[in-house]
Amino acid sequence: MSSVKLSGVRKSFGSVEVIKGVDLEVDSKEFVVFVGPSGCGKSTLLRMIAGLEPITEGELEIGGVRMNDVDPSKRGIAMVFQSYALYPHMTVRDNMGFALRFAKVPKPEIDRQVNEAARILALGPLMDRFPKELSGGQRQRVAIGRAIVRQPEVFLFDEPLSNLDAELRVHMRIEIARLHKELQTTIIYVTHDQVEAMTLADKIVVLRDGVIEQAGRPLDLYDDPANQFVAGFIGSPRMNFLPASVVEKGSGSVTVALAHHDGVRLTLPVTGAEPGQDVTLGVRPEHFGPAGAGGADLVLDIDVAEHLGSTSFVYARAAGEPLIIEREESRNGDETRITVSIDPAKAYLFDKQGQRIR
Amino acid sequence: MRADLAFSYIRRGLLYLGLSVAAFVSIFPFYWMVVGSTNTSPDIAHGKVTPGTYLLENIARFFEMVDVPRMFWNSAFIALVGTALTLIVSSLAGYGFEMFKSRFRERIFAFLLLMLSIPFAALMVPLFIMMSRLGLINTFTAVIVPGIASIFIIFYFRQATKAFPSELRDAARLDGLNEWQIFVHVYIPVMRSTYAAATIIVFMANWNNYLWPLIVLQTVENKTVTLIVSALSYAYVPDYGVIMISAVFATLPTVLIFFLLQRRFVEGMLGAVK
Repeated sequence: MSSVKLSGVRKSFGSVEVIKGVDLEVDSKEFVVFVGPSGCGKSTLLRMIAGLEPITEGELEIGGVRMNDVDPSKRGIAMVFQSYALYPHMTVRDNMGFALRFAKVPKPEIDRQVNEAARILALGPLMDRFPKELSGGQRQRVAIGRAIVRQPEVFLFDEPLSNLDAELRVHMRIEIARLHKELQTTIIYVTHDQVEAMTLADKIVVLRDGVIEQAGRPLDLYDDPANQFVAGFIGSPRMNFLPASVVEKGSGSVTVALAHHDGVRLTLPVTGAEPGQDVTLGVRPEHFGPAGAGGADLVLDIDVAEHLGSTSFVYARAAGEPLIIEREESRNGDETRITVSIDPAKAYLFDKQGQRIR
Repeated sequence: MRADLAFSYIRRGLLYLGLSVAAFVSIFPFYWMVVGSTNTSPDIAHGKVTPGTYLLENIARFFEMVDVPRMFWNSAFIALVGTALTLIVSSLAGYGFEMFKSRFRERIFAFLLLMLSIPFAALMVPLFIMMSRLGLINTFTAVIVPGIASIFIIFYFRQATKAFPSELRDAARLDGLNEWQIFVHVYIPVMRSTYAAATIIVFMANWNNYLWPLIVLQTVENKTVTLIVSALSYAYVPDYGVIMISAVFATLPTVLIFFLLQRRFVEGMLGAVK
């Protein structure tokens, strides 16, 4: 299997630059997920790796070989599309063997590879059906099967589960994870669903406006976000952000006062902020504790509470600011007002530019 | 309440009356043609509209008066070759206009659409001079060539191509196909309903083409069905029975093509990509 290396990669459509210098190394057998909001360039980057979009500037290497100008079919990659892109006029078997037929692979070899992919994905009974006779999940499995048959060095997945319903999405997610284990291939996977990213990835690459905001292991991104964007993007429900200002600096800590909560102060183990500096305090929903547990207490007016059984998400307001709180112990649907505390050891501080203050 | 009901009945009655008149106007000539082909010329002239017993006689006289196989061969050759070439050229153009982005794409396309507004009558004389200088007068080439790049069919294919998933093209590129192979192995099979609808439209237009063949085809042995059928009515004493049977024969191929491709025609007109 192959590694993928992007060095200073840029892409422009006319005068509009959509990928603004991306450097990234994907190790062999690694499962890398590109995440980011719509229009961040993640699909474009994937299509550039596939060879479906020319690279305006920079270098792309697959398996140590420069691939900028190599035909898509000769890059040793296979791609699974969001809309499956199965040829509607061909049966499942023909869809899966099409690339090999075009590459003039002998028929017995095509049959062997198609049957092997069918076995891996349990497609046996569907082989003589046409795509329109398959369900969404089955079509996606065929699309993956078509990719497997090509025996690629690198698999590219472009939002492959977006068109599936929630239940099937979970099922296919597990299937893809199993496949990665079984095939031991390099996978680059694009999604805007950060649950998919967190559960599947060895490495997550968070993109915004054509630049990499942060790349790293899923829990590293979750626990140690580089900036406010990544902090807000990784984690569901998203992190709460509260405007604050630094009022005091001690040795190894700063004290901030929350802007809209008179008298609420919090001392964080941070050294990079100066007194008077406007900052943003970030607190994940699960990092609010019961009142008086330490840190600072906030009084919240509850708008809506979602009781999921094992946990509850409370959508509330504190001095007019919307907050999301996770409460594992709460099953009381009648509460209208609660008091919670912020755990300062687990709170984050960001400067006005959104960069993390450590 | 009762007045409302009465008004509703009257409205519905008028609607059905209007539709019946429209249906009669559409169907009667066809009925008259078929019935006329079984009657003698005097019967038809006297307005007989019931089936007669002179069908075989009319057919026999028609075959005596006209070299029917030759006439059909001429029309079939022009219609089939013309249709095939029009579909190839125009679908390629429609595909290209939709798939390949260029700064001038929309301008060129708008210019082409503008050409639609020029009536054929205005092009007839320059076209004739062109064909004459190329030495193509009285050849099938002269009949076929001017219609190959049909702006209407290019437009039709461009619109239909909007429904062709671009991811299929991407998948085919990853499978190692070049643009021509994508067109032949993916686009054409996927768009077969569009091709079926276009086949009917172009075949009928070619088969029924009258004015241009009338101008460029000058000898009897090269004339097409429409020219011969029309010529039959120019006789000093026209035989209406023969004219009717010739019209029946002239209509058969288009009816046949339509029924053969009917299901795909409907899908194609609805723009279905399945």
